[in-house]
Amino acid sequence: MAHLRRSRPAADALGRRRSLSAPAAAGSLVRILTERLGNDLHDLWTDEDTVEFQIDGSRNVDVLRTLRDDPDLDFFMLADEAAVDYGPGAHFEVVYHLYSDKHPAWVRVRARVDRSDPRIPTITNLWKGAEFHEREAYDMMGIIFEGNRDLRRIYMSPDYRSFPQRKDFVLPDDAADSAAAGVNPLERPETWDLSRFRDAPAVTFPPSSERPDAPAEGAEGGETLADKSRPR
Amino acid sequence: MTKIDPDIRIPDPIELDRIEEQRLRSVAGLTPAQAIAGGEYAGFDQVGIPDRPPQTEREREVYTLDEGEMLINMGPQHPSTHGVMRLVVKVRGEVVVDIDPVLGYLHRGIEKLCENATYTTVLTYVDPMDYLSTMHNEHAPAIAFEKLYGIRAPKRAEYIRALVVELNRVFSHGLMMGFLALDMGGLTPILYSFINRDEIVDMLSAISGQRMLFNFFRVGGVNWDTNDEFLSRLGTWRSHVMKNIEMNEWMITDNEIFRARTINMGTLSGKQAIDLGVTGPNLRASGVPFDVRKAHPYSIYNELEFDVITQESGDSYARYLQRIAEIKQSINLIDQIVDKMPHGPVQAQVPGIIRPKPGRAYGAVESPRGLYSVYAISDGGPTPYRFRMRDPSFITLQAMPVLMPGRLVADTMAIMASLDPVMGGVDK
Repeated sequence: MAHLRRSRPAADALGRRRSLSAPAAAGSLVRILTERLGNDLHDLWTDEDTVEFQIDGSRNVDVLRTLRDDPDLDFFMLADEAAVDYGPGAHFEVVYHLYSDKHPAWVRVRARVDRSDPRIPTITNLWKGAEFHEREAYDMMGIIFEGNRDLRRIYMSPDYRSFPQRKDFVLPDDAADSAAAGVNPLERPETWDLSRFRDAPAVTFPPSSERPDAPAEGAEGGETLADKSRPR
Repeated sequence: MTKIDPDIRIPDPIELDRIEEQRLRSVAGLTPAQAIAGGEYAGFDQVGIPDRPPQTEREREVYTLDEGEMLINMGPQHPSTHGVMRLVVKVRGEVVVDIDPVLGYLHRGIEKLCENATYTTVLTYVDPMDYLSTMHNEHAPAIAFEKLYGIRAPKRAEYIRALVVELNRVFSHGLMMGFLALDMGGLTPILYSFINRDEIVDMLSAISGQRMLFNFFRVGGVNWDTNDEFLSRLGTWRSHVMKNIEMNEWMITDNEIFRARTINMGTLSGKQAIDLGVTGPNLRASGVPFDVRKAHPYSIYNELEFDVITQESGDSYARYLQRIAEIKQSINLIDQIVDKMPHGPVQAQVPGIIRPKPGRAYGAVESPRGLYSVYAISDGGPTPYRFRMRDPSFITLQAMPVLMPGRLVADTMAIMASLDPVMGGVDK
């Protein structure tokens, strides 16, 4: 909250960073982060305007409190809290983006959450504004934020049972066409697995003179009533 | 003198209503209304109480009534909720005790749609989100995808982008002025706001080909260069826009009723606003100089001269003044952009289906409602693996249960209009 106490004009406080080159300033941020967070920091990575690292899901409150309250870091604003599903057999991730006016980079904290038991402590006691983010993540991904006092569905109706943004969620269009819904898979050519035909030997037909079912030559050009009455 | 019989029982209006409903149901051949187990019959006086046990601590708090309190619904079809939203308001007489926003009436699952669309078509899906800042909606994913794909838009494209987003900001803030007055009963300012908006919308449709959902941004540039019609409309609009804004300002700013209903109403301190995640003009009206255009300059904003404007008091009136100041700032920025605009191409060479390398990117812009950001993850395929949007009006709505208690019911609408949420963005 240092920016609130400053008496300098706002443009200077924020415009100052325009002259800094991003990699140099991000370098000092990386140094401070490795000092303060120590063993919590995994897989540190930077790009042009972001410093990113991974943490354990259970350590999120401590790490974010350090980032927010440490006077050298001072990431006072929670810009975003997103949930990511890495698919069945993998894990969830809760991703926090933080902003500080002391550093020229966003900080992205990726907290890993077990997919079989998706629980992570809430951060609503650090930023009350995380509440809607967490309600949305619960609604869409089914991640349970322990300690959030209003963890109910926010977009879907309260009696809705599944989590639509998980990667194993079946889209309604696909479900309506599935075998479970009584649709014959042969009616959906786009789902056919044609790989087994790829290496099959070419099919050759005998000449029509040798085939007993060949249409007789001459009369009516081989056209029958049955051909006309076919659908399509 | 009339003698009052003490034995006559004055009928309870709720009881009368129940009897009437039973009668109507029996006439219609319906079964009698069932009483809910363990609770009061949810008749007309308890609209909004869910007929199930509360799921969370907060829900129990809102839906438990003390003596003299009642719940009323505002919305979902209410002219002042700025879209389809329901506010469950707990009132004691005329005073709001607590408020619970109920969302999701406009939820379209745009994030999921975007995860099933190619990168270039995602930019068409985000248009109808916050339908008053369509250009900004396209700008953030364009920035994120360009970072993922490792290209930059040409200089002229960046200038055209900045030009159209500032035009968009002018009409969005202009409409906020009009709607704020409209929600307090002032009908005229909204007409001036819409005159201004229609001129800008005509201008933007001349450059993009669409009237409202512009679909103008591309990964690596913009769709069209400026044309004669756009430039001539821009010049005409610029010649009289200040007159229009000042006319509106003259009608609203010193109006006695307007001042009485906005000054010291819905006051949000800077610390509270940061805690609640409020961004944009609402945050700057509370004195916090956070503007993404300065904080993390994107596009060409580090080449333009401007300061972050802030107000001090953080009430509804400050939020209104903040919008006025930002309109004038945007018009100034538009002048600078038109002066400095270079020649050159407006699109990088980008294939129709792009497959960025696996990675993550964050694109944030300053939309008229605050920090609008996109977090995109690529797994090397033609569609984003994860596409996350942070919409500012969704997060700003959390301020309502903080601002409303203790105010009159009629003021809830004025305070909400000063926060300027758009339901298309709230419900994604």
